Amino acid sequence: MPAAGPTIPRHLLQPEVLAGLANLDLIARAVVEGFLTGMHRSPFFGFSQEFAEYRAYSEGDDPRFVDWNVYARTDRTYIKRYVGETNTHLVILLDASASMGFGSKAVTKLTYGKYLAATLAYLAARQHDAVGLIVFDQDVREHRRPSSRPGHLQGVLHAIDRAEPGTGTDLKVPIERFREFEKGRGLVAVISDFYCEPEALLAGVRPLAYQGQDVVLFQLLDPEELKPELKESALLQDMESGETVEVSPIFMRSRYREKIDAHVESLKKAAIGAGADHSLVDITQPLDAALRSYLLFRQRRG
Amino acid sequence: MTLLAPLFFAGLLAVALPLWLHRLSAENPNKRLFSSSMFLEAGEPRRVLAKKLQYLLLLALRIAVLMLLVLAFVQPALWRPPQAAGGDGAELHVIVLDSSASMAAGNRWDRARNAATDIVADLAPEDRAQLIAAGRVTELVTAPTVDRAVVRQGIASVEPGVFHLNFGQLMRALDGVLRGAELPVVLHLVTDAQQTGLPTRFAELAPRDSVELQVHAISASESNAAIESLAGSALDGELTAAVRNFGDRTLEKTLRLERNGEVVEEKTLELPPGALVQTSFDALTLAAGPNRVRAMLTPADDLPQDDVRMVALKRPEPRPVLLIPGDLRAQGTLFVETAMETLEALALDTVTTTAADLGDQMLEEYEFVVAADLGALGAGEIERLTSYVESGGALLAALGPRSTAQSEVPITGQLFEPGAAAGSSDAYVSIGTLDVSHPALRGLDTLRAAKFFRYAAIVPAAQDYVLMSFENGAPLMLERNLGNGRVLLFTSSLDKEWNDLPVQPVFVPFIAGIANHLLGGAGFSNEAALGSTLALRAMGLAGGQIFDPNGNAVLGLGGGTDDVLLDRIGFYELVGGGSTEVVAVNFDTRESDLRAVDAATLERWQGLGQRSETVAAGAAPAGSEEVAPAPLGYWVLFLALLALGMESWVGNWHLRIRRGLSA
Repeated sequence: MPAAGPTIPRHLLQPEVLAGLANLDLIARAVVEGFLTGMHRSPFFGFSQEFAEYRAYSEGDDPRFVDWNVYARTDRTYIKRYVGETNTHLVILLDASASMGFGSKAVTKLTYGKYLAATLAYLAARQHDAVGLIVFDQDVREHRRPSSRPGHLQGVLHAIDRAEPGTGTDLKVPIERFREFEKGRGLVAVISDFYCEPEALLAGVRPLAYQGQDVVLFQLLDPEELKPELKESALLQDMESGETVEVSPIFMRSRYREKIDAHVESLKKAAIGAGADHSLVDITQPLDAALRSYLLFRQRRG
Repeated sequence: MTLLAPLFFAGLLAVALPLWLHRLSAENPNKRLFSSSMFLEAGEPRRVLAKKLQYLLLLALRIAVLMLLVLAFVQPALWRPPQAAGGDGAELHVIVLDSSASMAAGNRWDRARNAATDIVADLAPEDRAQLIAAGRVTELVTAPTVDRAVVRQGIASVEPGVFHLNFGQLMRALDGVLRGAELPVVLHLVTDAQQTGLPTRFAELAPRDSVELQVHAISASESNAAIESLAGSALDGELTAAVRNFGDRTLEKTLRLERNGEVVEEKTLELPPGALVQTSFDALTLAAGPNRVRAMLTPADDLPQDDVRMVALKRPEPRPVLLIPGDLRAQGTLFVETAMETLEALALDTVTTTAADLGDQMLEEYEFVVAADLGALGAGEIERLTSYVESGGALLAALGPRSTAQSEVPITGQLFEPGAAAGSSDAYVSIGTLDVSHPALRGLDTLRAAKFFRYAAIVPAAQDYVLMSFENGAPLMLERNLGNGRVLLFTSSLDKEWNDLPVQPVFVPFIAGIANHLLGGAGFSNEAALGSTLALRAMGLAGGQIFDPNGNAVLGLGGGTDDVLLDRIGFYELVGGGSTEVVAVNFDTRESDLRAVDAATLERWQGLGQRSETVAAGAAPAGSEEVAPAPLGYWVLFLALLALGMESWVGNWHLRIRRGLSA
């Protein structure tokens, strides 16, 4: 059964609990360990260190993975390989635009996105997937090419940690950068609030699909964006453009909700049309739902 | 239009507050950051415009509320001519019924009521009438009304009192009552127009300019005799009465004297017209305590209230006084003792003792102590005297030669000046300043005739009150309150060693005043005027009770028992402080003379109250005091409340719009 079961220490996955931890590495570790501890009877068990095959040692391999028992018996050096480390790379596209700085509760969308990105990176590294990162707004602000080298994960995590809300959003820029550097197949996780037209998303994601990438879109939204509660008329200022609009509570309770729901639905359809997965994430909810979505995606594409 | 309190216009500064808040609110709308305006739509322009207009209306209402409140405090008023309020030709007829004691004579009161009733009957339908009773105070019996029945009922309810009425005081009191009248006033004074009621200055009878005065004199030629005075001595019981015939024919009356309800003596008097006849009674044997003595004329005449006169006599109890002459001058208190023996009214019982024998005396038994030379007393005696005074005793102490040998005055502790015994037998000093308002020295200006050859020069302390001092400023007599008692310190001798005061005629009254003062104001008056008040605390009866002539316990004015108004004729009984005192309150003899003012005077009086033609015609000059301002404050306050209600309603509406609720 896909459910993680009641044994997951969910309080460890709550965004506001994670916000109390200072170190992103520690956050990622806590989330993943807590998540996997609760999943030891789940169908995802095979993604841990499961033996796959031996291959001859070649120059450049890490000597720690040499099976010395085989060497004692056969006098040949073999590397022991596992299922999880044979597959692919994961590139995380983290949106650090100004709108990601919005948050009505303890954490902003960007903070939540950073937790999610770090957690995905850690999870992937644990399975010996190569992990890459692109932090972007209107431009690419950080780019780490995928690698499974020891210490690379720390660099990725530091790059995630440094991300701060920037300016506007342009999804085409990171995707073009990705296509420019990454030619092989792999996994692409895009973490953003996707305040863009579905057609623009489609135009950006579709080339990735053509390239053979498996794309998962994590759309992070705050409850105040999904179901805003205004007590009186207010002047709302766009965090990216600075434009102000005076809105009424009636509008925010009815018409706005219809529009944002339609937008999410359109994005989902566009993602499906481009062969990508779409996952809507409420940033006040624990991270396990997003992780489970990723693992399902990973299993499906693995 | 006028403003009664224009200074409150300063309150308009408060208008700045809502203006400032409005500006603040306009500059700082409810603005917040939002992730994206991609799906936002601006509110309907109509709704936004409505909100702005509502807010401007709200602001205007708030400012209006503040301005109206300020205006209410400023008290705007409209000048309004008097006739504007009452319609054409309407007048206010103020009927003043003289309710003084003389109105009870014969059938004067019935005639006064009839006259008042006739006045009411003659009023025009649009006129208003008001009834006022004039006795000791001016009592508004009814308010101005068009209801004649109310006024007639008021006339029937008023009764003559026991007090005297002065017409001058009455007119001044009526000035205050009529000041706010909005109609032309006709003042009807129904009175017996007693001569004794006229003020010293005739001009005091003039009413206000705009008032028409009509005096309805109802006097007749009643016969009346009255006991004008009844005086007696409590020491020997001798009594003298003075009876006057106010009528114009000879009367024969019997004068009866009663003591405590028992007839003691009767005399027959022949009273010629206008004559004052004095007669003495045999000495009364007075019982212990207060004696109620009443003199009564029979048969009764048209004014029986003044046929009775009362006096309360109380035989004084002997009051022991201790005299301590200086040991070197054994005659130091001789003159004092002799003076006290002549003061029979105070019934002082003097006991002389030496300083050495002072220890054998129970000081608490004496009303007060006289020490001729404090310096002659030893430390033990001084200590006993000090203790006696502090516990409530009184001491008259003189300073002699033995005193000046000490560094400071015993008991009171004042310092002696260098060369304390000043003066010589050749040169003398006289009294310079003298507080004749002090109870001990009242009316003793002749003390200045005394010559002082020597005195002890002392420096008065801050708590001393200097009653007498010499021309050179040195104090002669001081008063010091010590504990619960008091000390009178005389800085010269009480005999004629240092001065010639004891041989001056004023010496006996001087000693009498001092004794009276040290006895605690023993000059208790057993007769009080009708309408006066008894100050119980001043008489040492603060914790006592007072009963009126009917035997009812009386509370003081203002709910306390400090001051009691004596408004009944008879004996008031004061119980308290371990003793009973009786105060006789007699009829005011000014009311006994029933003669009325002559017709010419009456005509002149009425002439003082002719209304000016201008006012009678209803064309009041602007700004004159006859034109009363009509305050608009209540109307402005009403408008402020209305604006406040609208502000609440609009404010609520505004909030509904801000919250996006349906309007």
